[in-house]
Amino acid sequence: MQTVSQIIPAADKPRRVARVFGHTPFLAWLLGAAAAVLLEHLLGETFAGLVGLSKVPVLFGLMILMSKPLLFPGALLYVAVIYLLPLLCVAGLLTRPANLVAAALLRFGPAFAVIVHLALFYGVLHFWADISGYRELTVKFTLIAVLLTLSLNLINGYMGEFSCSHPGFMALGAYGASTFTLTLFVNNPLFGKALLPGFLGPWLFPLGLVFGGLLASLGALLIAIPSFKTRGDYLAIISLAFLFIVKSLLENLPFLGGPRGMGGQPDYAGLPVVFAWTAMGVWIMNNYVRSTLGKSLNAIRDDEAAAEAMSVDTRHTKMTAFMFAAFWAGVAGGLFAHVMRFINPATFGVQRLAEMLAMVYFGGLNSVYGSIVGAVSLNLLGEALRPLELFKWIFIPLLLILVMIFRPTGLLAFREFDAVRLVRPLDRDSQGGAP
Amino acid sequence: MRKIPYLLVAALVAGMICSPLAWSKTRPIKVGINAPITGDNPKVGEGTKFAAEMWLEDVMAAGGIMVGGVRYPVQLVIEDNEYKPESAVKATTKMVIEDEVLVLVGPQASSQAVPAGGVADSYATPMISPWSTNPNTTKDRPYVFRGCFLDPFQGPVVANFIKGEFGFTRAAVLYDVAADYSKGLAEEFKKAWEKINGPGSVVAYESFTTKDTDFSSQLTKIKNSTAEVIFTPQYYSEVALIVPQARDLGWSKPIVGSDSWGSADLVKLCGPACSGLFFSTHYAAAGAAGATKEFIDRYQAKFGYVPDDVGALTWDSLRIVQKAIENTGKLSGKIEQDRKAVRDAMAKIKEFEGITGKMTFTEDGDPIKCAVVVRITESGEFAFHKSVCP
Amino acid sequence: MTYFFQNVVNALQWGSFYALIALGYSMVYSILMLFNFAHGDIFMVGAYIGFGVATLLVAMSAGGAIVLPGWLILILTILISMFLTALLGMFVERVGYRPLRDAPRASAAITGLMIGIILETGNLWLLGARRVSFPSLIQTVTYDVGGVILTNKKIMIVLVALAFMLALHLFVRHSKWGMAMRAMAFDYVVVPLMGVSINTIARMTFAIGSALAAVAGILFSIAYPVLDPYMGIVFGWKAFVAAILGGRGSIMGAALAGFLLGFIEIFVAMAFPSTLRDLIAYSIIMVILVFRPHGFFGEPYSAKLRL
Repeated sequence: MQTVSQIIPAADKPRRVARVFGHTPFLAWLLGAAAAVLLEHLLGETFAGLVGLSKVPVLFGLMILMSKPLLFPGALLYVAVIYLLPLLCVAGLLTRPANLVAAALLRFGPAFAVIVHLALFYGVLHFWADISGYRELTVKFTLIAVLLTLSLNLINGYMGEFSCSHPGFMALGAYGASTFTLTLFVNNPLFGKALLPGFLGPWLFPLGLVFGGLLASLGALLIAIPSFKTRGDYLAIISLAFLFIVKSLLENLPFLGGPRGMGGQPDYAGLPVVFAWTAMGVWIMNNYVRSTLGKSLNAIRDDEAAAEAMSVDTRHTKMTAFMFAAFWAGVAGGLFAHVMRFINPATFGVQRLAEMLAMVYFGGLNSVYGSIVGAVSLNLLGEALRPLELFKWIFIPLLLILVMIFRPTGLLAFREFDAVRLVRPLDRDSQGGAP
Repeated sequence: MRKIPYLLVAALVAGMICSPLAWSKTRPIKVGINAPITGDNPKVGEGTKFAAEMWLEDVMAAGGIMVGGVRYPVQLVIEDNEYKPESAVKATTKMVIEDEVLVLVGPQASSQAVPAGGVADSYATPMISPWSTNPNTTKDRPYVFRGCFLDPFQGPVVANFIKGEFGFTRAAVLYDVAADYSKGLAEEFKKAWEKINGPGSVVAYESFTTKDTDFSSQLTKIKNSTAEVIFTPQYYSEVALIVPQARDLGWSKPIVGSDSWGSADLVKLCGPACSGLFFSTHYAAAGAAGATKEFIDRYQAKFGYVPDDVGALTWDSLRIVQKAIENTGKLSGKIEQDRKAVRDAMAKIKEFEGITGKMTFTEDGDPIKCAVVVRITESGEFAFHKSVCP
Repeated sequence: MTYFFQNVVNALQWGSFYALIALGYSMVYSILMLFNFAHGDIFMVGAYIGFGVATLLVAMSAGGAIVLPGWLILILTILISMFLTALLGMFVERVGYRPLRDAPRASAAITGLMIGIILETGNLWLLGARRVSFPSLIQTVTYDVGGVILTNKKIMIVLVALAFMLALHLFVRHSKWGMAMRAMAFDYVVVPLMGVSINTIARMTFAIGSALAAVAGILFSIAYPVLDPYMGIVFGWKAFVAAILGGRGSIMGAALAGFLLGFIEIFVAMAFPSTLRDLIAYSIIMVILVFRPHGFFGEPYSAKLRL
């Protein structure tokens, strides 16, 4: 039983690097990244031309490595000059002021500091994605994947059940939210005329997402209630059956488009919307797993009988966990539907399940960091390896097998994610002010 | 250790010397191919890719596409959409923005073509889907075209053919409920059939799910109904299972199919059980003449088998693309402007002589073209039986 | 009535595949407590190996090198494919499962999934996207028994499947190795201390499971002679359902559950509109599990995923 969190020593950086960057707070890094993306905005195109690239390398030159290796040195130079140089310079130079600012921010309260950091992070992401619509799309899908992975991690990692039903929750959310927006704001062949004027749409879109999420939670009851008695592998089957049932149901409902799917969702899921929901989801889910309720999930995973004896209400805990995780999977599904602007039942099959499981276990069980890392790395890898065509599907599985063999619980398993710790200043004089 | 930076610089300089490959004088015309090379239906991707490679060979042998007196070299950008909608959307976005393709060909299947068509249309990039039969692919999307006829056309063609050929009044339908193509066509057929023979004349309307291989239960049900014919709009690989199973269960009446039967592999997989059956399709390979025959022979010589309908339709779509580019008269080099010009030229194409028939685009970007009904001969060829035009 | 019996025959054939595949799945699941998500793809590889061997033998027969009758080719094909697929199974165990024996079970499940993807893609790469058709080794003969249509293939498939199930049952119940396997299933921590090598048992379990998958693959290709690289996915997931529905620690339970799954699918399609087949079939399975939370023959247990 590997219940005790693994304690992984911080990587021993070379001492000189430690002296320069050891006290660099997260804020300075963000500022460095901001400088890098601003530089890219100003000079990216020109510099790319200078090093012989026809365009700004879209995913840090990874794609160029695969498709046109001859151009890779240019891409490398681009990454070094446009990204690394400003990042390191600005982060290094701003270490001291950033520490002061970070300390000042914390004085307004941890939530305020985190929000300022998030806003800055969004700015960086926005400017980075602004260069190309392809980047933006990749970022959107990646953010949605983060939400999905984390919500699956709640069940498979924190609670320790092997749930296969997540694509089903996602489907419920996607169809719920799409039905909401299509009926209310869009003239379409499925639901007829729009009921409300279109300008309300973006403002009421969150309601649609919540509606989708609640629908998914309702579906989760179908699994949560059997889970009181049925556990482990048998619950895995119930959840798999649930997935098949949802898919079959959607195929058989002609007013939802049947196998032909549902298209024409309005374009409400811009980058800010997706980012805001993802940030909110990660925040709330992180608070959840760090709360008593979340800790009781771990207790149930490690020993249900003991947890029960220690006054954990297992039924209540399980039901909340399933419904909560399903809610976020549903929200992710709703966002997914509005980014794709088309959904069909086949999208939510076992293939998606395999994808989601891979992200959870690659990143790491029982860990918010892990889910973020798993979703981001597999998504970016999936895009960057496009030029490999067929071999992409040999390379990625091999990588995953290696990760599983050398780190069986995933890359960053059993880590606590503490946003306040992340944003605190890192020098000695201002540390007193931090909690 | 100290030499490493120098080596790095040397490598970079070498790389930069090599890189002017990208700076040729006339910028090539890029054509994006969005094909399912992996995923559930890799055969479709293979057919697409092969047809595209053959087309490229032709074009490059001529020195490129001639537009307004200048020959532009052509470059294919082939992306795998894994037979998944989101991957098709990503691939389309990537090709439009990163590769700056002039025209997109594909995705093939409707489940990918519908969302990808939305992307192409929003970026004002002309796209032609050779194989997608769902009306939504092109509907209200001025930049999206298709290369094949639609379900609402094909359904009645088959229904009328059965009525006229056999004079039957009761039909059974067996289709894949999870595949949009099969489901759409099954519905259209049912509608058309009941219009001819009155309500209730589709006496069995049975379905299964993608990847199923056993149809015994559904076929037993059909056999016990009063149906005189089975219509099954399935992919050839499933047909090769359905027909022998029906025969094994004692069904001796006709089975009729749709354009998805149109693969030379059908006969190979199905064997003699399939001979004598009819299906509607885009072209008849056996007894073809002229350009069609030439295409089939070349494809067969190059890749070792008679092309599927996907291959032929992709070929036609690429030729339409080529024609549209030529018809623009001049390429400005500004990608947005050129895309618009190509789109306009494509919409204006009239009576295009393709190997799968004559095509003229409607307002929606759907071609008006004829369907043919072919019969599978005893020697396993698809022989022309009759032609149905709108 | 003939309608009903016809469907019984259909369900018997369909259930045989589920049963055989679930049997192989359950070997690994019951003895080593692992989800073998690569099993469906091992089944696919088994079918392809069978295809290769059979095509080769048929070609040799046709070329006049050695003239073999169809049934002999079939038996040879089954034996050779069983052997080769067993080797593959052992290899999969060595690279994908042995390093993860002490890891969370779900991690091993992921490795299995990934090995499955590699097998599919590798096949696509090696053989191309064209579907292949299994050579027809025996002529189909159709019998009409009071309106119920039978073919010699159907009868053979059910009989061969039953024979293999019986053989496995005897092996597990009455041989020394079988006893070791059962012991391992009972307690894999203490039993190795008694001098039973867990590596040998694991290897053997995978070998037998994969050999059974090969048998299923060949029988499957006889009944449904169109092979494609992704044919194993659905079977993998359904075998997973059947193996667990049968109950942990009960190999024969898995076979029965396989038949049950086949019967449910066929009869639901018979009694209801076939569009709703999956919906109703899986609702039935869900209800079964709600009332029998440990499957049919599984023992109640409170342990969960070993995390």
